[in-house]
Amino acid sequence: MGETRNIALLGQPNSGKSTIFNTLTGMHQHVGNWPGKTVEKKEGEFKYGEASYKVADLPGSYSLSANSEEEMVTRDYIAKNDLDLVCILADASQLERSMYMLADYAGMRTPVMLVLTMMDVAKSKGKVIDVKKLSDKLGIEVCSLVAYDKKSYDSFYQCLEASIQKQKTLDYDALVTIIKESESAELYQQYLNKAVLISSERRSEDWVAMKLLEADEAVIRELAIKGEKDIQTDPKGALYASDARFHWIESILDGVVTDAKKPSEALTKFDRAAIGPRSGKWVAFGIVVLALAGAMIVASPIMGLGSALPSVLNPLIDATLGGLGVSETILHFIKSTIVVSLGWVVSMVGFIFAMNFVFGILEEVGYMARVSYVFDRSMGKLGLQGKALMPMIMGLGCTMGSASGSRVIDSYGQRIMTIAVAWAVPCGATFVVIPTLANAFFGTAGGLLVMFFIFVIMFVHVLITSKVFGRKLNPVETRTGIVMELPPYHKPRWGFILKNSLMRMWEVFKKAFAIELIVCIIFYILSYSSSGIEGSILYKVGTFVEPVSSFIGMKWQTFMAFIAAMISKEAVLGVLSALFANSGSIMDSTTGLAAASDNIAQIVASAIPKAEALAFIIAVTFNIPCLQAVVSTYNETHSVKWTAKIGLYYILTALLLSTVVYHVAALFM
Amino acid sequence: MNLTEVKKGERAQIVRIDGDRRYLSRITSIGLNVGCRVEMLQNVKKKPLLIYGRDTMIALNREESERIQVEVEG
Repeated sequence: MGETRNIALLGQPNSGKSTIFNTLTGMHQHVGNWPGKTVEKKEGEFKYGEASYKVADLPGSYSLSANSEEEMVTRDYIAKNDLDLVCILADASQLERSMYMLADYAGMRTPVMLVLTMMDVAKSKGKVIDVKKLSDKLGIEVCSLVAYDKKSYDSFYQCLEASIQKQKTLDYDALVTIIKESESAELYQQYLNKAVLISSERRSEDWVAMKLLEADEAVIRELAIKGEKDIQTDPKGALYASDARFHWIESILDGVVTDAKKPSEALTKFDRAAIGPRSGKWVAFGIVVLALAGAMIVASPIMGLGSALPSVLNPLIDATLGGLGVSETILHFIKSTIVVSLGWVVSMVGFIFAMNFVFGILEEVGYMARVSYVFDRSMGKLGLQGKALMPMIMGLGCTMGSASGSRVIDSYGQRIMTIAVAWAVPCGATFVVIPTLANAFFGTAGGLLVMFFIFVIMFVHVLITSKVFGRKLNPVETRTGIVMELPPYHKPRWGFILKNSLMRMWEVFKKAFAIELIVCIIFYILSYSSSGIEGSILYKVGTFVEPVSSFIGMKWQTFMAFIAAMISKEAVLGVLSALFANSGSIMDSTTGLAAASDNIAQIVASAIPKAEALAFIIAVTFNIPCLQAVVSTYNETHSVKWTAKIGLYYILTALLLSTVVYHVAALFM
Repeated sequence: MNLTEVKKGERAQIVRIDGDRRYLSRITSIGLNVGCRVEMLQNVKKKPLLIYGRDTMIALNREESERIQVEVEG
């Protein structure tokens, strides 16, 4: 058996990094967080020839500065001694710009190779790149590939092998010469002397000195720990450093890239509309509607399958297990836990597949970056990227949609923030349940007024929630204006996107089923009763806390429905029906096994006072949307901690809203 | 003049960039350093600027771009 090698992928945004990661590793991926950091950790494995490779997909950024937690994680990672190779990616169609990552890497002594992507685009732009010559000048292996086409990876694997065998490190002498001949030569020399204190086997003095020239806070902090407290920094240092790097890149590319200089055709007709000051928002709106419709079309057959599962499986269970003499209680347990959660998970992955497919296309094509640009100002006020608007609008359909759609947000912290905010957007199920209740209590006009009230609360909620979660996830003082490349449009690779969406769907399926099953079992136990509703733990707890919940605005019945709505929003009517009209058990009503009584809305309207009803309606709307939303939030954040924080925050705000609404409404109703 | 004063379709060369370390490293790592030539693609009211430079389209925050001094080329 061959050895295991550790490699890392490093590249600027739009360099095709995740495409390469996915192509290399396929199903063998693990996603999690870096310990103690709000940064996503993506690792995977692949085999080639005798060797197996462990590959880390390092968070994308434009350089190795200390501007974000992501970049700090990357910097630590590439200096690790057990890392065998770093593969730096560069977009061949704009090599000068995208080689900056490699130039910033110069001085690191971890073996490295350069991977040129988008060669096809470069060609169409009239650029010819002499890969051999580039490799000679840099002293490392250079290969080119088409990121989504595995057939083009032969030279990549060969370079990988050669780079590791020969431990090829980047030749950066020319860069040092440029610095030493520039106006910052003297300063650089001073920094070199200090750099010795914190340089390491993998991180040369030159790299540290370059960072000192940039006045990089992280290396200055490291030096301070070593006792070097007053480092003189030059406010223009960052400019000198980047000038030197671009000079170096130009000298390297001289004679390597031949440019036929086709006239720039930057703005196509579509782009002019897509980014136009007025038209941009309309184009985005149109595309959101199309995307939502597209996602529903893709998802509905799978979701239909999910909701049909109980009606297919339950008779089957009755026939087989029932025939074997298994007791009715056990059969019921199986139906209301395993079958129900299986059905839910199937519906959920349908949604996740659709979101990945539709958003995958928009992302691949390059349109998402335009959305970010168009909504930069409005979403920026919330501390979110412009494209966060897309998953939030998806929330009007289904909160699972916004959770899985949030993957287009490239910063992990902002992704969590987007999901947290999107939970406040009332989902499709709310629009089914709430108007029914609101109309029964307040009549048609009153019902409309309630819906209007809900939207007002939504806007305030979104504002407050973005502030609450932004304080930790995107602190105001670290917020910066947009500086972002809008990549040229690419044709979507259908097969590739389809494959990725399917893989993602399977991944989620495995994880989500277990979680939903456990929650269903817990809820089953809580609501289990051998003698009517009164025997259940839920009832006992509900009646026990009634003195408190009445203050919040809910009697035990509405409070129980409020709890059940966290599992499924559609359950609200069913549970009320179970409580007021005896239409079935709590469990069956929550899981949809027992239907609500036809005139349930009228029944509760006569049983519940109006102030309590309004408080209940608002509380249910802005509570945890449903179990599915929680699970898909966990899928995207991979963090129990953040999922729990968001969940708890919504329960507390829902109770608070309920209290305020109840007491204010009680004055008038 | 600063970058926000460049009109749509005009070409300009960056002659000076001011700002703190964070800004300088962000703006240069995307490819915009002193000496770089850019073309203004869109410059409307309060929206971010849209420029073409180093073979690609780049969106820039408007307030921050006032720190970029340029010379318009004829």
